[in-house]
Amino acid sequence: MVSVKFTSVSKRYEDGFEAVKGLDLEVKDGEFLVLLGPSGCGKSTTLRMLAGLEEVTEGEIRIDDVVVNHLPAGARGLGMVFQSYALYPHMSVRENLTFGLRMVKGKDRLSDTEMETRVKETAIMLELDDHLGKKAKELSGGQRQRVALGRALIRRPKVLLMDEPLSNLDAELRHQMRHEIRRLHDELGTTTIYVTHDQIEAMTLADRVAILDRGVLQQHAPPLEAYREPANDFVQSFLCRHLDDLVETANTLLRPKVDAKEEV
Amino acid sequence: MISESTVRKWYTPVEVSTLQRWLLVSFVVNIVLLAVDLLRGSQSNAMLGVLGAVVIGALLTSLPEEANPSRRNTALVLGGVLLLIGLIRLLSSPVTGFDLWMQGWLVGPGALTLLWVSSRPVSAWSTRRMSLEAIEFGLARNQRREHRFRSVGAHLVLLHFVALTLLPLVWILDIALSPGNALGGNLGGPYTGEHFSNMLGSDAFWTWMRNSLIVSIGTTLMGLAVAIPAGYAFSRYKFKGREVSMFAFLLVQMFPGIIILVPYFLVMKTFGLLNSHLGLILAYCVTALPLCVWMLKGFFDTVPRELEEAALLDGCTQFQVFTKVVLPLSLPAVAVTALFSFLAAWNEFLLALTFNTSNDMYTLPVGLASMISSTGQAWGDFAAASLLVSLPVALLFLFFQRFLIEGLSAGGVKG
Repeated sequence: MVSVKFTSVSKRYEDGFEAVKGLDLEVKDGEFLVLLGPSGCGKSTTLRMLAGLEEVTEGEIRIDDVVVNHLPAGARGLGMVFQSYALYPHMSVRENLTFGLRMVKGKDRLSDTEMETRVKETAIMLELDDHLGKKAKELSGGQRQRVALGRALIRRPKVLLMDEPLSNLDAELRHQMRHEIRRLHDELGTTTIYVTHDQIEAMTLADRVAILDRGVLQQHAPPLEAYREPANDFVQSFLCRHLDDLVETANTLLRPKVDAKEEV
Repeated sequence: MISESTVRKWYTPVEVSTLQRWLLVSFVVNIVLLAVDLLRGSQSNAMLGVLGAVVIGALLTSLPEEANPSRRNTALVLGGVLLLIGLIRLLSSPVTGFDLWMQGWLVGPGALTLLWVSSRPVSAWSTRRMSLEAIEFGLARNQRREHRFRSVGAHLVLLHFVALTLLPLVWILDIALSPGNALGGNLGGPYTGEHFSNMLGSDAFWTWMRNSLIVSIGTTLMGLAVAIPAGYAFSRYKFKGREVSMFAFLLVQMFPGIIILVPYFLVMKTFGLLNSHLGLILAYCVTALPLCVWMLKGFFDTVPRELEEAALLDGCTQFQVFTKVVLPLSLPAVAVTALFSFLAAWNEFLLALTFNTSNDMYTLPVGLASMISSTGQAWGDFAAASLLVSLPVALLFLFFQRFLIEGLSAGGVKG
């Protein structure tokens, strides 16, 4: 049972800027939560506080009912996928995948054979088995993305964190990876927190979305519910109107063809 | 559509356009070379030189043009005159490599003008109106030749630079290999290895070599041990006094070495570090550090922060992030920095001369200088020794070349 709970969490930077204001949020076991909002809304900061890359100014973050505010990043049992992939350039794909496993010392450390089994599993799951010996720079963008995912998943993280993982991919790949990420989640059931500013990603991936604006949580609901019953004007314009616009554009694009068919 | 007149206007045989460029260069060079004649005080040669420059100037304004036989003839006559002036000067000057080169700037252009202006393509073009087919053929020929002419010109220019850098080396090599201890050497004469065996057989030389190696390697190691953490801290952490201390680092660099020499000496004396290796190592570290720290900081800045965050999440401690991720990525920069501190220590003269005054604590540069004293100038031995001194550095450079290029084009690392 892995759950994540933010209790009135705030983040204030040294220059006085308040990135997150009194956030209360609960992520259930096995849930796919998407943090959605425009840039500068505090969604990345929220994720980074959970990851242990930013200090929490006020409030509590609990993973499994344990307060993790002061736990070092590596001890929280999380896996994270970064926007720029952040693969170690001087290591092969195999070394990238196993780096985290090799950092474990003491009785929890996996034996070499167990490690190899994990690498095989992960590589097959992400279709990387042909590329294990390559360096990151020899891979295409999509493959790098898979390695980054694999590196996060291979440690069997309690929570999987993703910070705009698809924003460096082209439209075709993004579409493909989006399905793959959802498929992986359905297969593995890992509690996942996913940060994006893309409404479509949020709608298609999430079990629930948390929409943020200027550091304040606006609505926390399943995506369709948020779309049908927006909690306030911001959600209305950021989510609903945006999606309606998309649909309308698609309709105008397609209408002439439909007309032409009818004439025939 | 391109009309015939356009094509006609655009066609000039490549020989003529090339002559125009090269004559302009030799015009400038000849004017500069007049200074040599004046310094030598040979008035007749100077007069001829002026005349030569004037002829080149005239040639530049009367190069052949289409269907104009008289201009072609003028150019031929002027080219002949230029060649003649060059030959007269050549006969009246001493036969040395330098003089041959100098008169070549008149003989060469003169001969080339005669050769090219009288060549068939230029003759045909400058004496009658050519047919369109002939012009089209000429344009194609131009394209083929232009590339070759340009590469010859570029190589001539580059050869001058090569000669300029190699000449001192050749000179030293000549002195080192010539018997006797004259400064002039004997280019092409009988050579001997006695100076080299003198130096390699002398205890003093090996003592200096040992001192230099200890000091240079010590400086490199100590410099890196301080510069790497300092550069990383400056690059990654915000702390009080960060800007100030980075500037303070550079402050020392802004004084001429001679100013800090006396205070340095007093400090060394107080701590009993005169005539020791450690004293020099410390002093060199202080001078080499600022640049090393700045260079490393610059490289660390290019290592993406997300890489470090990924390592943190992978369970690294802050120190492991540095040793397992940042440092391996920065090896090229570290290598360049190491090379830099080594060189600085290897070549330094002033501090070594002042601090280490006893014979057996001399470093190589100081030892070399001591060979040229008021009581005797062993130029041959000196030259041989200086070549032996440069050898390790040259080898180091060869070995580090790959890193140097990578290190200087920092930022090549991409996640």
